[in-house]
Amino acid sequence: MDKKFDFNSMGKRMPYKTPEGFLDEMEANVWKEVQHELPQTHKRTTFRLRVFAGAMAVAASIALLLVLNPFQTDSFSRVERAFANLTEDDQAYMLAVYQEDIFINQ
Amino acid sequence: MAARNDADILSVLKRDAESGFRLLMAKYKETVYWHIRRLVVSHDDAQDAAQETFVRIFRSFRQFKGDCPFGAWIYRIATHEALRALERRKDERLSLDDPEAGTSSLMTDEYVDYGDLEAVKFQKAILSLPTKQQLAFNLRYYDELGYDEIAVITHSTAANVKANYHIAKEKIIKYMNSTI
Repeated sequence: MDKKFDFNSMGKRMPYKTPEGFLDEMEANVWKEVQHELPQTHKRTTFRLRVFAGAMAVAASIALLLVLNPFQTDSFSRVERAFANLTEDDQAYMLAVYQEDIFINQ
Repeated sequence: MAARNDADILSVLKRDAESGFRLLMAKYKETVYWHIRRLVVSHDDAQDAAQETFVRIFRSFRQFKGDCPFGAWIYRIATHEALRALERRKDERLSLDDPEAGTSSLMTDEYVDYGDLEAVKFQKAILSLPTKQQLAFNLRYYDELGYDEIAVITHSTAANVKANYHIAKEKIIKYMNSTI
């Protein structure tokens, strides 16, 4: 009597093999192909965001330097002390000179 | 990455093509590859056709109108790419006057385990079927899709798909019981 083929004994077994990591390679190749077709607005937004974030970081650094710079506080207080030691006439002269100085008051 | 349902993937795709497409590939890359591989046999051809399938999906998902299940739409593109790969292979063989031209056989491929005789014979049996029967059998047997969905993929009717599936099964049993 013939031995009848049974689908259950075969199941989903296949003789096919695949190289390791081929699915990742396949996905990478697809991205390579479509990368330049991604919506431009998305790319531009990302670029603008990066530029804005960079500018904000630089501005924050400068602000921190200005606020926290110990040399600046020190030099201001020294100038104030020197100014207090001047006579009233000299103080008036210095004020008049500095108030008219366009480089200092720009 | 967790498998998302197709509605979620479509909604992400519409908002953000890159993220949506990543989800789509995570869910379908293996399925698409194996569907194509069973039809074209060669690993290299299957990988090329699967890549082409995803590139086509990326370029045309905005045209998907939702008049069929999204999965069926993906399978349809994959099937089309697989058949195109087979056509190319057939043309190459014809140009070389290969006596195997136009026939479906388990060609020599480094990624086939020829030692598993029963599995090799089973695939040969499937490959000896006409394309419609092959598709009906593979999509039902391996991918466990419903007759309605297979009908959408193969541009047929559920009744025809059911008939093709049962004819295919009978032929496979006959082939497997033969001494070929």
